[in-house]
Amino acid sequence: MIAAAVTAVIAVYAVIRIIAEKETLRKFTYLNVMNFAIAATIPLLISDPLALIAAVAYFVGSTLESNAIASAYAVRRDGK
Amino acid sequence: MAGEIPYTEIFHIFAAAVVCFVIYVSIDLLFRLPEKGGVRGADAIGKSIESAGGDLNGGFMMGNIVCSPDASAGTLLAACGVYTFGIAGGLVAAVLVFIGNKICYDKGYAGTTGAIVATFVIYALSEYAGFSPEQFIAGMVIAILVIQGISQKYASRLLGALWRIRS
Repeated sequence: MIAAAVTAVIAVYAVIRIIAEKETLRKFTYLNVMNFAIAATIPLLISDPLALIAAVAYFVGSTLESNAIASAYAVRRDGK
Repeated sequence: MAGEIPYTEIFHIFAAAVVCFVIYVSIDLLFRLPEKGGVRGADAIGKSIESAGGDLNGGFMMGNIVCSPDASAGTLLAACGVYTFGIAGGLVAAVLVFIGNKICYDKGYAGTTGAIVATFVIYALSEYAGFSPEQFIAGMVIAILVIQGISQKYASRLLGALWRIRS
């Protein structure tokens, strides 16, 4: 139970840092912490074997999104 | 239960965080993540962290952690796997991380290696040292928080210093 509380609190902390950070590209490391914390909370709160698959699917999907958004942002910003 | 503070569990979570930190930082350094930004997004994040007073190589490693499942993701998902299915679960997580790497066009194998190493370390410590896999799940989130979520400037300088020692 403590483990789930730790991960949930870190997820909320990361969201606050994302909102507070002004520079778009620097938001991504905090977003990464939030993704870790949510992926960790899924199997801790859901006692089902498929929770592992859900956590991996969430994490890989969110990483792919971050990758795509950061790359697209960098390309647009640099005008290439 | 009410009013009692479970010191042992809190201590175990912090000890697990240290173990996870050592596993993922050493494997990421071994796979040369701080050398350059693997994709354009990682490269841009590294340069952005440098412009805020951080270290470029440390910034590249942080960008690479954001943009592809690396050893830190491998360690977290291996801990989730060991928590749900034991060693087999950790190895299932390693296979899924490998697929994730391919989806993100990652040429390195840091994520898969991290997941396999972490599976055995977490299983051994849970079986013989009084830890439980869920403590490693929370520990890994604390370990990633230390690098990615507290101070980009100082975390990138720490990673840059470790990278220069390694190279």
